[in-house]
Amino acid sequence: MIARLYTSLASLTFGLWLMGGVMALMAAGSFMGERAAALNEMPLFAWLGEAPLAASWWLWGTLCLLALMVVNTILCSIEAIRIRYGKSGPMALLAPQLMHLGFLLIVLAHLLSARGGAKQAMQLFEGSDLRFPGGSSVVVEAIDATMGPRGMPVDFGARVRTVDGGSEARTTVRPNEPLFHRGVGIYVKHVELFPVRTAYVEVHREPGAGWALAGALLFTAGNVLVLSQRRERRTP
Amino acid sequence: MKWLLITSIGLYLFGSFRRPFLAGGLLAGLSYLAVRGVELGRLPLVGPHDTLVFLAVSIGLMALPFLFSPALENSGTFSWGAGFMAAFFTLLALPLPSFSMPLPPILRTLWFELHVALAFFAYALFGIGAILGGMFLAKGERMLLDLLYRAALVGYTFFSASMVSGGIWGYYAWGTYWLWTPKELWTSILWLFYSFWLHVRLRGGGGDKVLAWCGIAGFAVALFTYLGVSILMKSSHSF
Repeated sequence: MIARLYTSLASLTFGLWLMGGVMALMAAGSFMGERAAALNEMPLFAWLGEAPLAASWWLWGTLCLLALMVVNTILCSIEAIRIRYGKSGPMALLAPQLMHLGFLLIVLAHLLSARGGAKQAMQLFEGSDLRFPGGSSVVVEAIDATMGPRGMPVDFGARVRTVDGGSEARTTVRPNEPLFHRGVGIYVKHVELFPVRTAYVEVHREPGAGWALAGALLFTAGNVLVLSQRRERRTP
Repeated sequence: MKWLLITSIGLYLFGSFRRPFLAGGLLAGLSYLAVRGVELGRLPLVGPHDTLVFLAVSIGLMALPFLFSPALENSGTFSWGAGFMAAFFTLLALPLPSFSMPLPPILRTLWFELHVALAFFAYALFGIGAILGGMFLAKGERMLLDLLYRAALVGYTFFSASMVSGGIWGYYAWGTYWLWTPKELWTSILWLFYSFWLHVRLRGGGGDKVLAWCGIAGFAVALFTYLGVSILMKSSHSF
């Protein structure tokens, strides 16, 4: 019975059904509209704990199928290596497994962020500071914006000073250029110059970001290897 | 300047069964994008008008290498199919207003441009895959299915790279590499669909016709991801 279970879990057909199921559930989730709007405001697992089942059923289903897909991916990789070892070249054997590994790391990244991610919005003024446990702080020294001809901001940012122990450093936080400090990212969302210079700031913690990048790089490397293998096969 | 688009539509629709005319239509579309790019000082990748033109040009561009494959060298059908598809999206773009305002600061990054450009190259290849799928269903030539595989695999590579660059951009712009919005969900669905397609082919025994039909369905999913979600749903990528 265990052998039969292993064969089923390691089968490509099972993987295909899982992919189909995840696609169907995600498609259903995309039509949830406002019922799932708060999903981006808190870590996934916190939202799942609070949201009514009527709004979250598709996500529970997706997570269950993804968990099975992780098992299926690992077992398929093991089987592929076991069956093809010595029969195909190392690159042909390695490339798809790198893609699988990349996918697994991305799932791990999502799990870490779903559990330990955090987001907080706040307003900061010139002279105000953001204090961190351990005594370090980020002090806002100046807030500025450059307006375009139609009154829309074309650039804005906050010049800040980080004070950590005895050391100080100055930098400017602006769109696409956040400040990373003590494991969090500090993002300036927009600024107002009147009546008081104010920066609308979000502080994010994404514990999965590094794993996601590692997974993405591995996946891309595997994907490029698969492409090069196909090319070699075509070239006489 | 829209005369360049009208010229490209004419060349695509009435001449693209011959390769030079398809190339001419592509050149006119490319020239339009180049002029827009010089005017704006950036790649024209924002709003429905510019993105539809970019998709049309990408289809012409991605079709070129296929025109020289032995299976399609003498095929006016493929050439015209690609031309018709490019003309269709250019026609859709023609009446829409173009976005000529300065970009919001959040969009002024190479990661954004890479993300969007790679996504449209992928959509274009999925479109070419759909044409090849249709041709296989009509003619039954095995070589067409092999070409569909190449289009799907390269498109999948572009699309995966687009998702990676989108994630990096999102992390620097919004503080997260992932948002649970309809666009991200459909992006994942599209990526999973082509993962599914590539695995069905790997497994074999699914039937060539199924693969061909899936190649056509994949482009429908791509179009919904691009146009359907942006127009019909409230999302992070709405027009």
